[in-house]
Amino acid sequence: MTLNKVQITGLVAGGIGFVVPLLINIPGLALAGSLALSIFLMAAVFWMFEPIPIYATSLLVILLQILLLSGQGLIYSGKKLPTATPESVESQQWNVPSRALTADGKLYLLRDDGETVAREVEVIARDEEAGMVTVEAPFLYSESRVAADVTHPLAEFNPNPYSDFMGTLADPIIILFLGGFSLAGAAVKYKLDRNLTRILLAPFGKRPGFIIMGLMSVTALLSAFMSNTATTAMMMTVIIPIIAQTQKGDPVRIGLALSIPFAANIGGIATPIGTPPNAIVLANLAQQGISISFGYWMVLALPLVLIMLLVAWAVLNWFFPANTESIELEIKEHFRTSSKAYILYGIFLLTVLLWITSSLHGISSTIVALIPVVGLTLTQVLEKEDIRELPWEVLWLMAGGISLGISMENTGLASWMIQQIGWGAMSVTVLFLIFGIVGLVLSNFISNTVTASLVVPLAMTTAMSSATSGFSMIVLVLVVGVSASLAMVLPISTPPNAIAMSTEMVTTRQMAKAGTVIGIVGVVVTLGYALFYWPILF
Amino acid sequence: MTESSNIYILVIEDEPDVLDALVRDLESFEDMFPVEMAEDAEEAEQLIESICEDGHEVGLALCDHVLPGKNGVDLLIEMTKWENTKQTRKVLVTGQAGLEDTVKAVNEAGLHHYIAKPWDKEQLEAVVKKQLTEYVLRTRKDLLSFMSKLDQERLADAIHDRGSISDS
Repeated sequence: MTLNKVQITGLVAGGIGFVVPLLINIPGLALAGSLALSIFLMAAVFWMFEPIPIYATSLLVILLQILLLSGQGLIYSGKKLPTATPESVESQQWNVPSRALTADGKLYLLRDDGETVAREVEVIARDEEAGMVTVEAPFLYSESRVAADVTHPLAEFNPNPYSDFMGTLADPIIILFLGGFSLAGAAVKYKLDRNLTRILLAPFGKRPGFIIMGLMSVTALLSAFMSNTATTAMMMTVIIPIIAQTQKGDPVRIGLALSIPFAANIGGIATPIGTPPNAIVLANLAQQGISISFGYWMVLALPLVLIMLLVAWAVLNWFFPANTESIELEIKEHFRTSSKAYILYGIFLLTVLLWITSSLHGISSTIVALIPVVGLTLTQVLEKEDIRELPWEVLWLMAGGISLGISMENTGLASWMIQQIGWGAMSVTVLFLIFGIVGLVLSNFISNTVTASLVVPLAMTTAMSSATSGFSMIVLVLVVGVSASLAMVLPISTPPNAIAMSTEMVTTRQMAKAGTVIGIVGVVVTLGYALFYWPILF
Repeated sequence: MTESSNIYILVIEDEPDVLDALVRDLESFEDMFPVEMAEDAEEAEQLIESICEDGHEVGLALCDHVLPGKNGVDLLIEMTKWENTKQTRKVLVTGQAGLEDTVKAVNEAGLHHYIAKPWDKEQLEAVVKKQLTEYVLRTRKDLLSFMSKLDQERLADAIHDRGSISDS
């Protein structure tokens, strides 16, 4: 393994990021928060500079969380919070150890489930010699237990069991994606995606503008259910022969070459399984007890996807108008007719139907996702070798992002960060805009999933801490997820962009020009949605 | 052999004019696939050795049949036996190989293509592109970096089928 300069810098910077929060005392951040900050900084730097693969960083995050932040790890394992029982003085007045009282006059009350809650009390008298204070607290009774020492690391932090972090590897959202990956893997194996493309493109005729519209619609549709990258690779095989027919120097070549990755990036927004950042959005919401069904996500996202496809199509036609009148489109392919192929068609159809009708039958889409996993393996449509070829590292990448979110919430790190930036005090509109821009800019340079992993927990906490109405949390988080998928300025922005660029049919400048316009319009449209369309639906 | 090693095109031809013409027609590949020239089998063997010692590889050999000393078909047969050139795509560029030698080249050297002299530039480019694409598909995981020079449709298809690039 040889590292280049950027990677070595990243490795060192990540190490420093990990160590610094442990060495200095950060005001407002307790031990658990500092530990979480260490992991956050290291992960952020590693994810950005990639001295190690991004999925490896994700796994490292999970391991460090188990070691440093779980109830079974190096720090919190075996630790027990010392407790005290209040002594009754008179009605509603109790004596408690003075160390049980925080500087701002709170007690940590132990609940039956072992968690602590901070409750405000009124101090009546202090007895410094005996180390006791008398407080007035209507919620105390003679069997209450309070933390005897508020400086104890467990007083204001309830470590998650290690299985919470490890469990992210099989989080229901991860299983949802496993279902999607299984379907996509089988579709590739039996050329279903190519055949669907052949059928669906037929009505779009021969005029270049329509052909591009057709290509973009089909690409977006496929990438809503398959990986954006696999869809792009397949569609490139469709457009390369088309491009060969056009004259050298015809701008439509650029338009064609950009239409595929752009439509694939946008199409991923349409369904929960369309692209990995969606998983981070769903998992973070699920941790707050908010579940969004497959069909409901589509109601939220599909109109936005359609508008953005139109915007992208218009931008490409405007920047790169065709010089030719007509283009011949021929895809040599035929539907596979083996019994296994038919089983695949059936399972594909059934799964997608059950997904989009989840609000009718009430079966969670994560459970439905097991149908293709089980169905395709028991019929051996997917064999052992095919299962091994599924993109497991993408599942791990998402799991690490989900896992990091747990600690950012639980240790108070996210709310501390938001206090530092002062986001809590801003109006909803400004917040939508800021988070949209942060998501868009960041994910143009780093992985979309990583962007979501870092920013979504902050958006969640901002929404919870600011005095806004209930819907704003879902909308704010959606804004981040959507804008992460709208990043398509640079070849490194997304793998589909990288594939289009590798053909040398487009220059970075041309991609950046079109991608920037689409990104900016995208954030504005998303903002409009967040303010006017999404609120109607809640 | 690693993902970052250079893939060489080796041209073996004893007539300087013909050699020049061949190399000129390969110009469009040269910035990605360096071209090395040899005038006979012995020189070719030395070249292969030094290319491989430097950690690079020979992706394609374009070989004349009639050479001073060992002939082209025998050189290609030897190359299929060496570990370093087993995967090398082997093309005979000749005007004089008889049926017997050609059959021998196909059967024993696993000849991949036969170009008759005089060749046509476009035809040569197409053969080289196809053979290098084959080589890359067999020996490389990162196919994206070859898209600009080789058969884009086949490479994109392989990226799709192998799922070698994932969403991130």
